Amino acid sequence: MIGLPGQGMHLGIDPLSALFLCMLVPQVVASAIAVEKKSVTFWVFVLGMVLALLAADAYALVLGFELMSAASWLLVLRGERVEGRSPALLYMGIALFSAACLIPAVFLPAGGLAFGLLLLGVGAKAGLAPLHAWLPRAHPAPTAGVSAVMSGGMVKIALYIIIRYGFIVFGNAIEPWWGVALMVAGAASVLIGSLRAALEVELKTVLACSTVEHAGLIAVGLGVALRARAMDDPALASLGLQAALLCALAHAAFKPLLFLGAGAVKQATGTTSLNWLGGLMRAMPRLGMLMLVGAAGMAALPLGPGFAPEFLLLHAVIAAAGAGGVMAWIGFTALLGVLGLSAALALAAAVRIIGIGFLGRPRTLHAAAAEEANTPNLIGMGLLAACCLPLALTPGLVLDALQPVISQLVPNAPEAALAYAPLPLLVLMLLLAAAAFFGMRRWAARGEREALPWTGGFGKPPAWLPFGDPATQPSATGFAEPVQRALGLAVLGSAGTDPSERYILAPLNRLHGQVTRLAEWVRRATVRQRLAFVFAALVMFLLVLGLGQNG
Amino acid sequence: MFLLLLRCIATLLHAGLIFGLAPLLMGVMGSLRARLLGRSGPTPLQPYRDLWKLLGKIPLVPDNATELYKFWPFVSFSAVGTIALLVPGFALNLVSAPLSDFITLIGLFALSRAAVLLAGLETGFGFGGAGAGRDVLFGIFSEAALLVVVLVFVLIAGDPTVDGIATYFRFGQIGISVSLGFALAAMLAVALAETGRIPVDNPSGHLELGMVHEAMLLEYSGRYLALFQYAAMLRLIVWFSLIATIFCPFGLAQAGNFFSWPLGLLSWLAKLAALAVALACFEVSTAKMRVFRVPEFLGVAMLLGLLSAVFLFVAGRLGG
Repeated sequence: MIGLPGQGMHLGIDPLSALFLCMLVPQVVASAIAVEKKSVTFWVFVLGMVLALLAADAYALVLGFELMSAASWLLVLRGERVEGRSPALLYMGIALFSAACLIPAVFLPAGGLAFGLLLLGVGAKAGLAPLHAWLPRAHPAPTAGVSAVMSGGMVKIALYIIIRYGFIVFGNAIEPWWGVALMVAGAASVLIGSLRAALEVELKTVLACSTVEHAGLIAVGLGVALRARAMDDPALASLGLQAALLCALAHAAFKPLLFLGAGAVKQATGTTSLNWLGGLMRAMPRLGMLMLVGAAGMAALPLGPGFAPEFLLLHAVIAAAGAGGVMAWIGFTALLGVLGLSAALALAAAVRIIGIGFLGRPRTLHAAAAEEANTPNLIGMGLLAACCLPLALTPGLVLDALQPVISQLVPNAPEAALAYAPLPLLVLMLLLAAAAFFGMRRWAARGEREALPWTGGFGKPPAWLPFGDPATQPSATGFAEPVQRALGLAVLGSAGTDPSERYILAPLNRLHGQVTRLAEWVRRATVRQRLAFVFAALVMFLLVLGLGQNG
Repeated sequence: MFLLLLRCIATLLHAGLIFGLAPLLMGVMGSLRARLLGRSGPTPLQPYRDLWKLLGKIPLVPDNATELYKFWPFVSFSAVGTIALLVPGFALNLVSAPLSDFITLIGLFALSRAAVLLAGLETGFGFGGAGAGRDVLFGIFSEAALLVVVLVFVLIAGDPTVDGIATYFRFGQIGISVSLGFALAAMLAVALAETGRIPVDNPSGHLELGMVHEAMLLEYSGRYLALFQYAAMLRLIVWFSLIATIFCPFGLAQAGNFFSWPLGLLSWLAKLAALAVALACFEVSTAKMRVFRVPEFLGVAMLLGLLSAVFLFVAGRLGG
């Protein structure tokens, strides 16, 4: 058996790992059906994730985690290049950093240092700010099936490790600041992720940025729970955990769905740039409807899969604000403001995907000539959409099923019922829509006439543009321009780069350049310089030796 | 059993009134504005006639519209209509009260907004896209500001539903507080943005570059346009009721107590009328803002919400 000498490897399953396995299964099945049946690396990647979930000792956990990292690195390497550069190098750097933090963390005694290292290492993998800049570059690179599982699965594994160590392994040494650190990182990711999701033009990059946002939302929920548990408030801890776990479940269903859809769009049109798409809803109606389900989840709209977690999270933050001192009060109020901003930004991003990409007129011939996605893809996406259904309509039942996990993580957690009831709301909305429909049938003029669209008063397009002049149609960039002017300039600066890239990656890059130049200078040194260097080193050595003996 | 029946009747009455009076409120606003500007103006019944006229017309559907073109008006209407059923009007403790969680209401407003945005992007014409982009911008700030205000309400009342908050404010001992003053200011700013009234958007504007809500509906006609316009009217009466119920809960009836209904009905109508007069006066005395001033306006609202939360904390500490 592989494992530490004399001990072997321990595997086990408990409610927490079972829950995360449940998240993993549908997306892996869907991606396998849709794209990745035959890729060995994909299955190794999946094996790594499963191993990390089933691990019952630190060794197996690290083995699984690193297997997952290595396999996904290969998949990113084989993926396409973004702006002429492969993100694989950056990805490997982050993977090495996260391994360098994770491995000492899991073998250190429980405490602040261990949790801090763990948070750095695993947070980098989960795409938590400030180490998230790699995610919007690396996740879109591989094929759609892999992107789907990376966003929906790999990020969850990283968060699983935070939960496993924060609540269970380090559970006795828990301190409130752990939760605060998680919340701060989460809030920053939520803000930057949702803002970039509303501004980016490439469909897959938009989805990856939205993954950063959702990882942040889960982290905020976990942070609330961790802090509450450290402060001995099981009711609040359980509310925060409910929000985080439900958000993880929902994200694991709708994000792979959207990524698979983006892959199908790429297959049909050869591009995923929203500025080159348009009008896909008529060419690909089934794909469009499935994307609509995913987008409703991404935007956290009521009656969609994403609303119940958002609802719980907002309530958890409100409850946390009421339960602390003045700093907590102000902090949680500001956090609530950030969550409100980003909820509306997420709505903007989702509306932009559907409104610009799938509605309107085709912006290029490629988009005009698109055909419906192939059946395996639709089946895979349909499976994930079916997984969204219980989350959307009966989140209360899903929460009941989560109760064992929550009582595993927070001893003596009270059972709390969900105050959001989608089914009565759905009934009310359907009743109203039916009333409007039949009222119109009764009183309004029957029938309708097809007419040329008004197109804002532009003239008739020339004959070689059968779908109208694309330049008269708002683009994805144009749609996001007001947000870019009001918020993008303030947060991302005039160049529109991520703060994490500007303040972390760019200095690292400069440092890398300087070290390379130094190494190159050493390599190119003449014999005389080398001899001088060796001589100087010898003198230094003897000097130090002599001083040491005297003193 | 009898009590439940009475509550059901009250809920039906509430539904009938709020759906029936929504166009009237819009009409009253229109004629009041005209009077204040020195014109004679249309009668308050004009919106009913407009809706009837639109219903009688055969809609023109753009030939490049997708199947979802007819779907958006229904989504927008039923989301706002659901809110109208959940927000207390003349009486508390309606049958729908347990559903009226404030965050659910914010979600439903977002759903209705999303439907209008997608309707604006449906045929890909320039006005629609520009209007949708601006509406998104307003939504970002107004949702954040509203959430912070909701935090204040929930922490004061200890109940997340609008009904619970209103009940607490009606019967609890809260008096006048600085915190609620700030919250009221923030909420009014958000209401102006959400209903598209003058400093933010011009409801009577047609074909001007600054318009937002109307710009997204330019490709709609006939009964579909009527549904969108009716949803906008509902949104106005819903926001009026929401503000009246929370900040001015005096006279609110109990759905289970028949004899409190007349006072509740009268006070509700009086509050709606007072708010209409106030809004009309405000609208004629200010000019519409530039689009990029609106985020600042709503940012101030958000700041007021934060201040309100801070004052609430300070007051709680001083009082307790």
